[in-house]
Amino acid sequence: MFLFPTKKAPAPEREASSPERTSLPERSERSERSERSGRPEELGGPERSGRSEQPGGPERSGRPAEVSPPGEPEKAFPGKKAPGVRVSGLSVVYRTPAGELPAVRGIDLELVPGTITGVVGESGSGKSTLALSLLNAVQPPGRISAGSVEIDGLGDVVRLGGDALRKARGRHIGYVFQAAQNSLNPLKTVGKQLLDLGRSHEVDDLRELVRDAKELLGRMGMDGARVLDSHQHELSGGMRQRVGIMLALVLNAHLVVLDEPTTALDMITQATILRIIREVHEERGLTTLVITHDLGVVAEVADRLAVMYGGRVVEQGPTMEVLGAPRHPYTQGLIRAIPRLVGDIGEARALPGRPPTLGTIPARGCVFRERCHLRMAVCETEEPPAISRGEWIVACHAVAAEAEAEGGRRRVAAGTQGSAKAHGAKGEQG
Amino acid sequence: MTAIGARRLPGVNNVVRRLAGHLVRGFVMILVVTTISFVIIRHIPGDPLLARYESLVEKGMSPEQAQRATAALYGFLPRGTLWEQYLDYMRGLFHLNLGQSLSTPGVQVTTLLGSAVAWTIVPVLVGTLLSFMVGITVGVYAAMKRSGKLGDVLALSGSLLHGLPQYVLALLIAAIFTTLLPIFPSGGTADILFEPGFNAGYIGSLIQHAALPIVTYALASYGGWILAMKSSVVTVLGDDFILAAELRGLKRGIIFRYVARNAILPLFTILALSLGMLFGGAIFIERIFNYPGLGLLLINSITSRDYALMGGAFLLITVAIVVANIVADMLYTAIDPRVRSGGGTAS
Repeated sequence: MFLFPTKKAPAPEREASSPERTSLPERSERSERSERSGRPEELGGPERSGRSEQPGGPERSGRPAEVSPPGEPEKAFPGKKAPGVRVSGLSVVYRTPAGELPAVRGIDLELVPGTITGVVGESGSGKSTLALSLLNAVQPPGRISAGSVEIDGLGDVVRLGGDALRKARGRHIGYVFQAAQNSLNPLKTVGKQLLDLGRSHEVDDLRELVRDAKELLGRMGMDGARVLDSHQHELSGGMRQRVGIMLALVLNAHLVVLDEPTTALDMITQATILRIIREVHEERGLTTLVITHDLGVVAEVADRLAVMYGGRVVEQGPTMEVLGAPRHPYTQGLIRAIPRLVGDIGEARALPGRPPTLGTIPARGCVFRERCHLRMAVCETEEPPAISRGEWIVACHAVAAEAEAEGGRRRVAAGTQGSAKAHGAKGEQG
Repeated sequence: MTAIGARRLPGVNNVVRRLAGHLVRGFVMILVVTTISFVIIRHIPGDPLLARYESLVEKGMSPEQAQRATAALYGFLPRGTLWEQYLDYMRGLFHLNLGQSLSTPGVQVTTLLGSAVAWTIVPVLVGTLLSFMVGITVGVYAAMKRSGKLGDVLALSGSLLHGLPQYVLALLIAAIFTTLLPIFPSGGTADILFEPGFNAGYIGSLIQHAALPIVTYALASYGGWILAMKSSVVTVLGDDFILAAELRGLKRGIIFRYVARNAILPLFTILALSLGMLFGGAIFIERIFNYPGLGLLLINSITSRDYALMGGAFLLITVAIVVANIVADMLYTAIDPRVRSGGGTAS
């Protein structure tokens, strides 16, 4: 059922390449890397859409778990196909004594079906809030104040509620917690929690579910029967993380959100988890969102990358292009701050200043201006326009000015609204 | 999942080893406490034999007569040094002989304790379990609704009852239900009209007499349970695995069970310990409702300087608490898998 795509490089080689993750690939390295991993450098195109159909869909359609009770609106969900996700104008505010403060503001982001999108940002940049918004699970005192999260087959998740929302979580959207966090009930074995999951989602054949779970666990290099019989404290961090991935996938969810999947894991385990994410993603034909603060992780797994700062997406586009030639001063600063594996540690230059907290995010103008070396007068007052070139979108006044100077070669969108539309149209073809 | 038995077997050994360790430590603890209480009791001012002797002399006996009468009454006079008396006492203990009561001469201490135990255990046990169950239920509710008015009211009722001293509560209840509204008897264990035995009248009377002490005891401890459970539930609600369960789309009922089971865990320890304390009796409550339990017996033995009875009562309380501690630990082993396999993370 789970076959490795033969075109992929063998796993050990991948792992061997992982230490280099800390140093970001140079432009010249890029093509070499993508050759090695057999991964197309450009997104979209016929090959990608072919890949997303790959995993043995027809077999899975026979699963009883797949059959939703009649009369449920979400049964039309194409269980075998990776869904697309369109986040538009998403804002999340947190209620504080100082009033409602935005943690995420006006985010436009598209997850192209069958791709892995990485979201990077510092602590407090709103990336986890964004991840929770995808499940409409922002915890009080936070709430989604504006915008929509359209998921193929589910509709606008922001408007879902009650049982419909509960059933969407788990079955349609899998969520994987950070490894260091304890995402399992400490008093129950993994197997019993799996059964709780099955019962919650009206899975008729629990034996089948257990079989699937064992297969998934085995697929990730673990002894399924033993793991199901274990309590959380009997598993290591990497094992727990794989159990988390199993629980997110076992109901055949095709949109998977991984929140800091490798944080607090050692390097070897990190590499293993990343390899598993990549492989499972391809085998099952998922749409995956990886939230991380580790640029290396994004470089390793993500097809597309979104950089968040102060609750905004400041730059997004195909991973290798963005990392190879970042245009936003924040992204540039992040990459400069990474120490190289070879060379002087002093070459890594930390970004001056501190990231804003919920209370100090500027209400007007560019959120990054306090730490920006390209700061201009206009940054104080005006939202940076979103400049898009192909799939690459940057929100920065300096980049906009540069683009304008370069002339009509680049299309300058007047505001975020326009770019979202342009971007959305692009996504529909892919 | 078939390998459970085979893999858990070392765990069983673990449990036995644990239990053995507890028993040894508990035994030593009992010896130490017995010794200390023996020494203390003998040094309490006021000698019961001397008091008896003096009261006889006051009644007009000659000193010799009084001495003989006292010796005849108690069957013995303390002889030898304190050390010899101690060895005598300990020798008796190992034969489960706690000696004779001094205040009710001719009656074995064990008999007195035995007749009082039932009158304490049943009401206090029922009261504790009642308040535990009601308290944790209300505590869960108060935690869930903690941002609402009802939650506030419930938590406040908990704090209030928790802060109210037992004796004030007991007096209040006694005043209301035996004097102002005389619907309950004011003392004793059962109406003498009824033949003790298994008949409806006697049992009804038993319940009627036990009702007020039970309710008082339950109310007195219920506040503590509410507060403890509420804070425990709030802690668990903030745990990551609850959010994770929510994000996996688990049903509310299942998530509720996750919360409840994890939150109740620390309370079981408190419950087991408070069950150990119940042998100490609810002194104020038994006194106010004139209920012949261990607490009343203990108070009476102290005021009459009944060495043997005091020693026996202290010993019973010590043993009960040691046993409760062991039970609490073993219970924890049974309900918390992390303790069962010796804790720690496999990695």
